[in-house]
Amino acid sequence: MTSPISMNQLETISAGVHAEQARYRGMLMVCNGTGCVAAKGFEIKKILNDRLAEHGLQDQWLVVGTGCNGFCAVGPIVVVQPEGIFYQKLREKDVETLVVEHLVGGKPVEKLMHRNPVTGAINPKMEDIPFFTKQQLVALRNKGLIDPENLDHYIARGGYTALRRVITENQPEDVIAEITRSGLRGRGGGGFPAGVKWASGRKAMEKRGCEIYVVCNADEGDPGAFMDRSIIESDPYAVIEGMTIGAFAVGASEGFIYIRKEYPLALVRLNRALDAARAAGLLGDRIFGTDFSFDIRIHRGAGAFVCGESSALMASMAGRAGEPRAKYVHNVEYGFRDKPTVLNNVETWANVPPILEKGAKWFAGMGTGDVKDNPWNGSSGTKVFSLVGKVRNTGLVEVPMGITLREIIEDVGGGVPDGRTFKAVQTGGPSGGCIPASHLDMPVDFDSLTGLGSMMGSGGMIVMDDRTCMVDVARYFVDFLVDESCGKCTPCREGLYALSRILRRICDGNGVEGDLDMLEAICDTVRETSLCQLGGSAPNPVLSTLKFFRDEYEAHIREKRCPAGVCKPLISYRILEPACTGCGACVKPCPTAAITGERKKTHVIDAQKCIRCGICFEVCKFHAVEVK
Amino acid sequence: MAPTKIDITINDKKITVLEDSMLIKAVIGAGIALPTLCYHKDLTPNGTCRLCMCEIEIKGKRRLVTACNYPVRQEMTVWTNSERVQKHRKVLAQMYLGRWPNVPVIQDVARRCGVTDGSAFASDLTDPNPKACILCGHCVKACDEFIQERILDFAGRGILRHLTMPFGESDPHCIGCTSCAHVCPTGAIQIIDDTNHPVDPDLIRKHGMKVNAEMATLDKNQCCMREVGTANIVEVMDRYDLLPVHNYKFGQHPDTYKVDSQVLRKKYFTQNNPDGCWFGCSMSCAKAVDGFELKTGPYKGHRVTVDGPEYETVGACTNMGCFDPDFIVEFNFYCDTYGIDIISAGTGMAFVMECFEAGVITTADTGGLELKFGACAEVLECLHQMSRGEGFGVEVGQGVRFLKEKWIREGRGDARFIRDIGMEVKGLEYSEYVPKESLAQQAGYAMAVKGPQHDEAWLIFMDMVNNQIPSFEDKAEALYYFPLWRTWFGLHGLCKIVWNDVAPADNKKYAPQLAAKIPEHVDNYFKFYEGMTGEKLDEEKMLAQSARVHNLQRLMSVLFGFGTRAGDTPPYRSLGPVTEEEYLSRAERYDGQLQSVLGLDPAKMTLDEKRAALRAHRESQYQKVMDAAYARRGWSQDGIPTKARLRELGIDLPELLALAAD
Repeated sequence: MTSPISMNQLETISAGVHAEQARYRGMLMVCNGTGCVAAKGFEIKKILNDRLAEHGLQDQWLVVGTGCNGFCAVGPIVVVQPEGIFYQKLREKDVETLVVEHLVGGKPVEKLMHRNPVTGAINPKMEDIPFFTKQQLVALRNKGLIDPENLDHYIARGGYTALRRVITENQPEDVIAEITRSGLRGRGGGGFPAGVKWASGRKAMEKRGCEIYVVCNADEGDPGAFMDRSIIESDPYAVIEGMTIGAFAVGASEGFIYIRKEYPLALVRLNRALDAARAAGLLGDRIFGTDFSFDIRIHRGAGAFVCGESSALMASMAGRAGEPRAKYVHNVEYGFRDKPTVLNNVETWANVPPILEKGAKWFAGMGTGDVKDNPWNGSSGTKVFSLVGKVRNTGLVEVPMGITLREIIEDVGGGVPDGRTFKAVQTGGPSGGCIPASHLDMPVDFDSLTGLGSMMGSGGMIVMDDRTCMVDVARYFVDFLVDESCGKCTPCREGLYALSRILRRICDGNGVEGDLDMLEAICDTVRETSLCQLGGSAPNPVLSTLKFFRDEYEAHIREKRCPAGVCKPLISYRILEPACTGCGACVKPCPTAAITGERKKTHVIDAQKCIRCGICFEVCKFHAVEVK
Repeated sequence: MAPTKIDITINDKKITVLEDSMLIKAVIGAGIALPTLCYHKDLTPNGTCRLCMCEIEIKGKRRLVTACNYPVRQEMTVWTNSERVQKHRKVLAQMYLGRWPNVPVIQDVARRCGVTDGSAFASDLTDPNPKACILCGHCVKACDEFIQERILDFAGRGILRHLTMPFGESDPHCIGCTSCAHVCPTGAIQIIDDTNHPVDPDLIRKHGMKVNAEMATLDKNQCCMREVGTANIVEVMDRYDLLPVHNYKFGQHPDTYKVDSQVLRKKYFTQNNPDGCWFGCSMSCAKAVDGFELKTGPYKGHRVTVDGPEYETVGACTNMGCFDPDFIVEFNFYCDTYGIDIISAGTGMAFVMECFEAGVITTADTGGLELKFGACAEVLECLHQMSRGEGFGVEVGQGVRFLKEKWIREGRGDARFIRDIGMEVKGLEYSEYVPKESLAQQAGYAMAVKGPQHDEAWLIFMDMVNNQIPSFEDKAEALYYFPLWRTWFGLHGLCKIVWNDVAPADNKKYAPQLAAKIPEHVDNYFKFYEGMTGEKLDEEKMLAQSARVHNLQRLMSVLFGFGTRAGDTPPYRSLGPVTEEEYLSRAERYDGQLQSVLGLDPAKMTLDEKRAALRAHRESQYQKVMDAAYARRGWSQDGIPTKARLRELGIDLPELLALAAD
């Protein structure tokens, strides 16, 4: 598209896309999210096109590369539309089978389909797979359904009608009121009501009579989290339209997206989307031919975790070191360039167009609480989580607020694999907390998670099984935060380092009585006196594990024992006599040649040589290796 | 709009504070001490040590805030030492002691928090150095805020945070101001004085630091020297009717907004750093314009860096009636490049323009140049001619005195008019202030040894804007003191700008005449002198040092035939309105003065009568001020230093006595 589009062209464009797609027998939606791309998603797409051409089918089937489908555990994925046949874990050689048997022969290929991991039953279509059935898509409404680089595809899915309506029918104040009534709370972690933030920004802008900026925080830094990346990769225009609506509401003409440099694919798609939106007159001067002008610039972050904190992010955008400042005066008053600045994260912005399209009431109808009069009074809408760790269906999921942890982990996630049992789920990123099995039936929303000493964060969810040591987990996250603390304020800088040393001491078997009191005292001060929320929430992994798994800490200190068998100085491996078949499978992989034994006779581990790597434990098919 | 006042309660004590003031000021004001390791009164708060944390309650909600950077915005109750606060302070103090156990400020603060042992936090990073850097950030802030440099900053994340210069190398941009060392609470930054071996470097540093702190905290509310340099007074001069316009005819112009400091700041200035002209000075009054594309002359089309414009440059241009900022920058560049003084060029050209408009000269004289007021292109052409030694430029380049005498000799126009409007004394063109309403400035200009240049006696601000020397005696005293004080700067190679362009916040506590001297800043210079030489200095000694040189200079001037009463007599334009147009433009003021000062009834007088009466009065006033100033300086009524004065000053050498008056 090279010329600006007018308001009444949206329907024409949409009809054109639908007509174009109707010329085909169907579409092959190839997942080209980062996860599937790593599993050769681009190659699958190319081979698919090649095979179609060889069979003369290129005019009958349209191949579309989409953003992240969400079911990352089984990538690469191809979904055949309109039926919705779901093919998974495709290898390059499988493509020929798919084309010949399904597209030519008309018979879907069962062996490439998803199977129920317990019963083995085949789930031919997406809607048959439990991973998808409990999901409710708002922020991810277009995932897997459009080519993320194609503006027409976005428009064909109803894109930009919200912006059109807002610009032509609404006053900025109406838009803010609508967002406030929807109960939309910031998806970046804090859960601050977006409408309230926008109103404060607009008020500050009017009071000071100066510029105001809107910023999208795409500096997703939590280990194992990829919600924002996937949204941008699958539907960049949703974020752009959301920001444009936000800019109209608060009175901004300049916007910025702060995105990690580690997200190359998202960056490429975002840039292309921005260019296309500009060419179509949906960004830049006189959007839709009205007096409203707005443009977005990209600022690439260099990968500091703390730059996800809003004031550090703005410092970084201004070319200064990414360090937070005290926020007694909020960014909505004095933010980027000391001007009022409204910052929301990717998911929050992506939620904006559907809210204005379908209304606050629709959005508030999902989730918990009654936010009609007070956005703090509940958590409306949906939340995107990246579900990882010891769970079968790792991937990206969007579920309504208020769903229980159990539903997410067991139904959507398919439960803990390999016959292990669930131990805890860590939510809210590195400074979130670990929630034990006893709280699995708790409905998930901003306030309930905080109540448990964890937090929503931006939506990372790491499932842990019984082979996870909670002291080790706390140490891992604290070490992450020691590395990522900016070092500006004393409690975060010195306190986290002290926590790390104590935790390491405990894991090494050198813990002493009084260590737990010391941990709690330091956590208390770090939590209450740190300059920013990185420090303020940093003690969560320690405090939540101390709260729910105190006995594990005590076992480490008093009995010098790691109950989960993880902390190397406290464990030893042993081969059990009756179970060992003498197959020798463990001998070769052992990196220190610590295992010896005659064939078909019980083998022995030399404790002096053993470095407790656990490889023998993993490879033994007869559960003959014991760790204590 | 006056800032809102807010009542707060600190430890059961009610206090009223200004909205948005930092809580720590209120706490200190209430006489309560807070432990802190990162707060410094002259630096913006850091909020990093967290020790000044207080517990506050607003609308029933309690929370902890750091007092140093918490702006008071609503009524609240504050506890500076609650149990919760004490508990955290103890842990924080232990953290500090664990890392830096031997640093005295830490030991001291920890003791105040009830902690003497930090061994629980001892680690591999524990630094036993009593002068260790404790990461308070004072030096980083001082470098940034005092000097507007970022020579020092932190590098390394988290526990690896450390102080460094860029890339860990010694940075050549460091101007050696030593502010960082001065604010360092532990002595981690050491200064090696191997430059010119002052007797007492600490004394110099202490007062230099005072200057730096005032620059960082006061300048933005006073002159904005750091932001716009001396150009800050363009709009001030216009407001007070003192900005020269059309060869000093007027003191104001409706187009001044086009060339004021805000225009320069927004569209032109690109460099805003200390230029190192005075070692360690943080005022950074020098400004520069980068990438300016020249439209005329030999460098037409080139993109150049222009040093300026400062106030006098703008004033020289408004004096020519030129209100185009692009022209000002180009005029600035070519004057600099040709080595032509901007003030002389501007004032000279303004004289030529008025003569052209009055018909004294025509295009036949100017080689076709229509040199009317505001003729920017023609001014530049004339300037280029000057540099090439061609055409009319050759004549203009020889200055106002040359032109005046030539045109009178050639019998062009009214000789008295030409003398009245030719703004030079002793052959030097006037600097860019309209002195008509300031008797002190008239004399300050015309009696200056080198000619009417403000460097010796810039009294217009204290006379007209601040009204600090109202009486005749005050003015005569000012004409004695300030030329000597300003001569003293020159003698020692010191800049005057940090003396009076920013004044201490409480300077008004002194009586006006004393306030005009800015006594605390004079003291800074005395201390610089003492720190350098080891010799104490006071006003009397300072005046004696200067007077010797000043009188010697005057005798030199006598020798060259300028240093006499006649040589100190200004053109009438500097005393009052020359033309009818000029009188009428401020008729209300002049009529009022005829009435109130001379007891005349202007209603019954013709314009010519009024002009004559005003002139007679002003000229006689000027003669009187000269009499008084000569007497105060110990000079004869002809303006020549007396033998007695030379003896008193110990410069009664035979060659000088031969020139002196009896």
